[in-house]
Amino acid sequence: MIIDRNTTRLKRACATGALSMVIVLVLAFWSLAGVLVAPTTAIMTEGKRTTRLTIKNPSPDPKEVEVRFAFGLPESDSLGNVDIDLRDSAVTDPRSCMGWLKAFPRKIVVPPNGSQVIRLVANPPENLPDGEYWSRLIVRSSEGTVSPPPVASEEAITTRLNMIMETAIVAKYRKGESVARLALRDTTAWIDTTFDRVSVLLDMENQGNVSYVGVINGRLLDAHNNEIMTQKLDIAVYRDLKRRLDFPVSLEGFDGPYRADIEVTTRGRTDIPPEDVIPGNEFSFTTVIPEDRRR
Amino acid sequence: MNSKSTTHRSTPWCRQVMILLVTVGLVCLLSGSAVAQDVAVATATATVLGTISVSATANLDFGQVLQGVETATANNTANAAVFDISGETDKGINLVLILPEYLTKTDGSSRMDIIFSATDASVDTTGASSPTTMAAGKGWQNTNPYSLPAAAIIGSGGTSIYLGGSVRPSANQPAGTYEGDIVLTVAYNGS
Repeated sequence: MIIDRNTTRLKRACATGALSMVIVLVLAFWSLAGVLVAPTTAIMTEGKRTTRLTIKNPSPDPKEVEVRFAFGLPESDSLGNVDIDLRDSAVTDPRSCMGWLKAFPRKIVVPPNGSQVIRLVANPPENLPDGEYWSRLIVRSSEGTVSPPPVASEEAITTRLNMIMETAIVAKYRKGESVARLALRDTTAWIDTTFDRVSVLLDMENQGNVSYVGVINGRLLDAHNNEIMTQKLDIAVYRDLKRRLDFPVSLEGFDGPYRADIEVTTRGRTDIPPEDVIPGNEFSFTTVIPEDRRR
Repeated sequence: MNSKSTTHRSTPWCRQVMILLVTVGLVCLLSGSAVAQDVAVATATATVLGTISVSATANLDFGQVLQGVETATANNTANAAVFDISGETDKGINLVLILPEYLTKTDGSSRMDIIFSATDASVDTTGASSPTTMAAGKGWQNTNPYSLPAAAIIGSGGTSIYLGGSVRPSANQPAGTYEGDIVLTVAYNGS
């Protein structure tokens, strides 16, 4: 019994300490945070044409927030660097839904320590072919707490730069049967001596009718099957995409030849609710890292 | 006699068993209540949603500007602009800065050039939010603000962007306050 009571006290003390630490960390985070947006992916379907987005203002000052739609897909260069070119107008992509998505309200003032819900509504055109349609919702807020420098005299020149923050959230509309299918066109691997890393480049092509949203899991192994490092990379392949998985590690102390076990799957996304992920095909392969291919 | 003896002998045995049972029962009861005090069982459901947050914690400050004198603020000084980004650790992010080419006098009567060079930004993946103490190897130092690193991620403590720049007032630049917008757009590049 004595042991039980001591254990109980110890547990309570640990729990209280951990809770206090969490509260302190959360408060510290919130005291610095700007506008917080959740979720980061908004999905609408034929059966559920509306969804909600929460904007939270953890600061002690009211925040003006404005939302609008844009279009932009992750696109890659030959080295697997990804860029998203967001466009507000002149979008002709047939998969764009930015023209028929609406947000209510579009301008809000989020009170201090408060939150506001933005409702997204899809009004798709008639005879829309089955598939997935894409847009980005831009949440724009300005920092009200940064004050301008005071003007010292009428003869002085001073500057005031307004700091504006935009967060781009994925908005998708799905119609009909959704098929997520990805094909691997090519792979290249090399040792990057400049950045002390091993890189594996995957050239992928989307063969489904929705974006392939998943992860690349990688294991780097030495000649004796010792695991040198594991890496994970989120991917979203809308049409085709090259993604580079980097293992930032020095190979000193490990014997070659090195190889990487790579797996591509739609499982393992932690930022999207499982019900919003379209399960797709999975594949895995092993690639040998050529020791003579150093860049 | 035997029977009595047996009965006589059985009484303490029964007592011992009873005491043992009562003790075990009490221990179970008390440990049960202790557990009940420790753990409250409830059923709850929650959907965990991914989040992203961007904030500006410091303005780009040029201080007082003199006519005809170019004034610069480096990205590793306390006067640099600071943006902080937080969200899920290690997620790849796409960062785009839209920067002004000139600042406009608040009454709209005059302009002043503002310049951002190809080394005016730093991306700190420690999220330290401290431009003066950024350590080498913890992101990208002195990088191009018009083309921020494509491999940027959200670090375990967040990610900070430090921005410097310079203003070029003309020799007869009218006095007053000049303003412009710096816009940072952040998106997860794996969604």
